[in-house]
Amino acid sequence: MMRTLIRLEILRIMRNRRYLFFTIIYPVVLFEIMRGSYKGVVIPGFDAKTYFMVSMATFGTVGAALNTAMRISTERKTGWVRQLRLSALPSWGYVTAKIAAAAAATLPAILAVFILGAAQGVHLSALTWIGLVLALWVGAFVFSALGVAIGYMAPPDGVQPIVMIFYIGMAFLGGTWFAISGTFGKIAGWTPIALYNELGRTVELGGSVNVGHMIALAAYLVAFIGLAASLYRRDKQAA
Amino acid sequence: MNTPTTEAVAPARPRRPDAAPHGAEIVSFQGVSKSFGAVKAVQDLTFSLRAGETVALLGPNGAGKSTSFDLLFGLREADRGRISLFGGTPRQAITAGRVGAMLQSGGLMPEVTVREQVQLACDLHPRAYPVREVLATAGITDIADRKVDRLSGGQTQRVRFALATAGDSDLIVLDEPTTGMDVTARQGFWSVMKAQAEAGRTVLFATHYLEEADSVADRVLVLHKGRLLADGTAAEIKARAGLRKVSFDLDHAPDRALLERLPAVAAMEIGDHTVRIRSTDADATVAAVYAAGLYPRGLEVTGLGLEQAFLAITGAADAAEDAAGVEAEGSA
Repeated sequence: MMRTLIRLEILRIMRNRRYLFFTIIYPVVLFEIMRGSYKGVVIPGFDAKTYFMVSMATFGTVGAALNTAMRISTERKTGWVRQLRLSALPSWGYVTAKIAAAAAATLPAILAVFILGAAQGVHLSALTWIGLVLALWVGAFVFSALGVAIGYMAPPDGVQPIVMIFYIGMAFLGGTWFAISGTFGKIAGWTPIALYNELGRTVELGGSVNVGHMIALAAYLVAFIGLAASLYRRDKQAA
Repeated sequence: MNTPTTEAVAPARPRRPDAAPHGAEIVSFQGVSKSFGAVKAVQDLTFSLRAGETVALLGPNGAGKSTSFDLLFGLREADRGRISLFGGTPRQAITAGRVGAMLQSGGLMPEVTVREQVQLACDLHPRAYPVREVLATAGITDIADRKVDRLSGGQTQRVRFALATAGDSDLIVLDEPTTGMDVTARQGFWSVMKAQAEAGRTVLFATHYLEEADSVADRVLVLHKGRLLADGTAAEIKARAGLRKVSFDLDHAPDRALLERLPAVAAMEIGDHTVRIRSTDADATVAAVYAAGLYPRGLEVTGLGLEQAFLAITGAADAAEDAAGVEAEGSA
């Protein structure tokens, strides 16, 4: 019953220019710039290239996921969400399809940065590459759920600034541009984006995953799905 | 505008055998009220729909039509009263695919083609028809490959109609379906609509075009300021307004004093040789015309149009409300 819905959701994302920019072009360009300007800078345990490759892949993923929020605000404005509520689709079906489509749309973001990274001489074993793609992609569901929740947080016109705040805040807290240290760094380390980056780096280094951190990431996923579903229900009358 | 009005309308599919039997009550509103702050959008609304009927919900903007639909679909909760669809809640009926809806405020999925949009509706309907058939029935086969964001108003309405008829629903609800269509497109639309009604479906539509209610509906509900003022066939509503028009010509200049003594006259227009009377009892008025020794030529007694009946009914309701308001103020 939901096959067409999910297929169309993915198709629409791929047809969207904003998606192409925030998800693929922007992270790839940023990676190129960072890689050049941080040449020779040593972050303990990493070389800069590898560090920023993961950062940019997660950054693109977050961009793709948050783009979902913008799309939802448009759909609420045009009344499409309202029309959909009059179909036999259950309310969890809509939220599920949105999260699934957003997560599917994050895959090209991850792959684009990785292909560039490999071309620039990032050396990882085949197993690590595969593990890294999978880890980042699974983690992307957290942000896709957050994107759906943000799409319903405010009236349609109020969604855009919220998206920008999350987008920039995540990049900062996640150590996307530079690593954060000290007490603030410790707190920032528990934000979903930092946990997500950590997941990527752990796989990259072949270390063992911190179970507590992964449980925290899973908890974020559950919380965001719950939030998205409840905000969608609350929005019944407005949209 | 290239709405294909000349295209032959594909017949709608007949009903499935286990659908609600003709005449069974399928929708019921019992004393339903809904307010938004101080605004009483719907007040004490009671009516029912029976399987197979085509019913028009008639009223000006702000009469409470859209709120009534939101309540019917369970998009809003009533403050008071009970609503049942097919013996259950609105949500249950919608999930079971028993209701096909075309909302005024409902939009289309952005960035997809008409065909993709219809395909989605078919995929979501538990008893969907083939996509090709839905396109043909709604008369949108020729625009199937266009993006939905690039359609004219009338074409958009047809696509939305296709969404409401993508499967075997028992009740089709249309909120101002012909808004944005020109006259030919509107006629084409209603022939498509009639095919659905002839297949035995129950159709409820809101409109402020009185001629649509008059020509299409079996029954008309008149909604005004959130209240149901009348519920009956168009003919009954015209009769309920209680007025008939009596018009005739006279050879001589009319004697005003004489005419004003005629019984049952609600309003009168006197020209050089013509007399037009609105009468609450046309038979008595006409008899008195002859009794007064007049020789009317070209005597005509006609009913009011639905539009005039509608104005008479809503006008009477407003007057009653004003009177009640004055009374309340006087006693305060």
